[in-house]
Amino acid sequence: MHIMEGFLPVEHALGWTVASAPFVVLGIRSVRRQLRERPEQRMLLGVAAAFSFVLSALKLPSVTGSCSHPTGVGLGALLFGPLAMVPVGLVVLLFQALLLAHGGLTTLGANLFSMAIVGPFVAYGIFRLARGARLSLAVAVFAAAFMGDLATYLTTSVQLAWAFPDPAGGFAASLLKFGSIFAFTQLPLAVSEGLLTVLVVNALTRFNAEELRHLPLFAGRRATA
Amino acid sequence: MLIEQAAYGNRWRQVSPAAKGAFALAGLIAAFAAPAPLVAAGIAVLLAVTACLGAGVAPGLYLRVAAPAAGFLALSALTLFVSIDTDFSWRWAPEAWPRVAELGARSLAALCALLGLVLTTPLPDLLGLLRRLRCPDVLLDLMVLCYRMLFVFSAALHDTATAQQARLGYASARLTRRSLGLLAANLTVQVWQRAHALHLAAQARNGDGALRFLSPQFAHARRDTLLAVLAGGLLIAAAQLSAGLGA
Repeated sequence: MHIMEGFLPVEHALGWTVASAPFVVLGIRSVRRQLRERPEQRMLLGVAAAFSFVLSALKLPSVTGSCSHPTGVGLGALLFGPLAMVPVGLVVLLFQALLLAHGGLTTLGANLFSMAIVGPFVAYGIFRLARGARLSLAVAVFAAAFMGDLATYLTTSVQLAWAFPDPAGGFAASLLKFGSIFAFTQLPLAVSEGLLTVLVVNALTRFNAEELRHLPLFAGRRATA
Repeated sequence: MLIEQAAYGNRWRQVSPAAKGAFALAGLIAAFAAPAPLVAAGIAVLLAVTACLGAGVAPGLYLRVAAPAAGFLALSALTLFVSIDTDFSWRWAPEAWPRVAELGARSLAALCALLGLVLTTPLPDLLGLLRRLRCPDVLLDLMVLCYRMLFVFSAALHDTATAQQARLGYASARLTRRSLGLLAANLTVQVWQRAHALHLAAQARNGDGALRFLSPQFAHARRDTLLAVLAGGLLIAAAQLSAGLGA
């Protein structure tokens, strides 16, 4: 779920765009560097962006009876690193706005910050912490995807609460309000996304072990789930 | 995709994307500059009528594309009608109506500005416009590849899901999760295979850098852009001059 077109006041829309801009610049530099070292990644990143877009069409059932779609944030961050996910996320969000009217151009900066910056960095950090604590690959992947998903929606709640503070309770009450509404669907969804990501990584380690060895977090490791 | 259908089959297909982009930008500015909800709602109606009558987008298709976003807007507006007091008790807040009206009308107007652009301009034309605006090559390559592979993956997703469904793979919640996991895992493996095949194909043609494409040419680009800038300027001016209306 992204913040829709025109929903944020103009100063917030501009502010989040400015906040996201340095990450976009760093992300593009990081991708350029990767492409100089491994030119075949050009195709891989483009195809991965298409995959993320298509993945967002998958509906995940949740215990509340509602449906939502996976963000793919955790998986992308683990496979390509959090900085590379910024330009990929930018393309996916732009395409969702232009092809599905999902999200928007004025809210692109805010959505980019939550989905392509905070989510991937949290997922990446959690994965490294979990592997550092010698947890198994499956547990680390689940924790990364789960927390990446939750961090994305928590950031969206903060963005909305900041833009629309409660008249009586202010920012904290508004954060509680938006946070509890998102938690209703997002907690079960985050669990589903965590399990889905573990299944995907299991499939990759089984069928694509050679390719995984070239990726940052799997480099030099024997990929066992 | 509904938006793609309209983008390739409307009367403004041959109008320069720069012109449509300029008019959409003016629509977004007018949505934010509107001093009252009624003015913003008027802008929304004007932009929707322009897309349907001017560009010939079917009104039914327009509504079907706008419906999910409008539904989300309604849900979000409902959220703003709930207030939490200092003792953390919930209550309805009818006093939030002015803010909800302003927000709803502004979002609708901005949505209509966006739809006016995307329903009349195919994505490859917009990518050509971004190339002219000197968008970084890396981003453009990602966009070109992403757009071209979207349909390949959509077809693969559809075929695999149909096959799983035929084997009762979605008969229960547990099976649904398992099937979705297998589906996503299978598609992820395909990402590598297809990327590798594309890389080999590019190498076989000595392609080792940015992807180059001819940009489409539009016959009356300057005239169209000038008209769009004038119309957009008028829209913004009208939005600002109607300060007393509906306040």
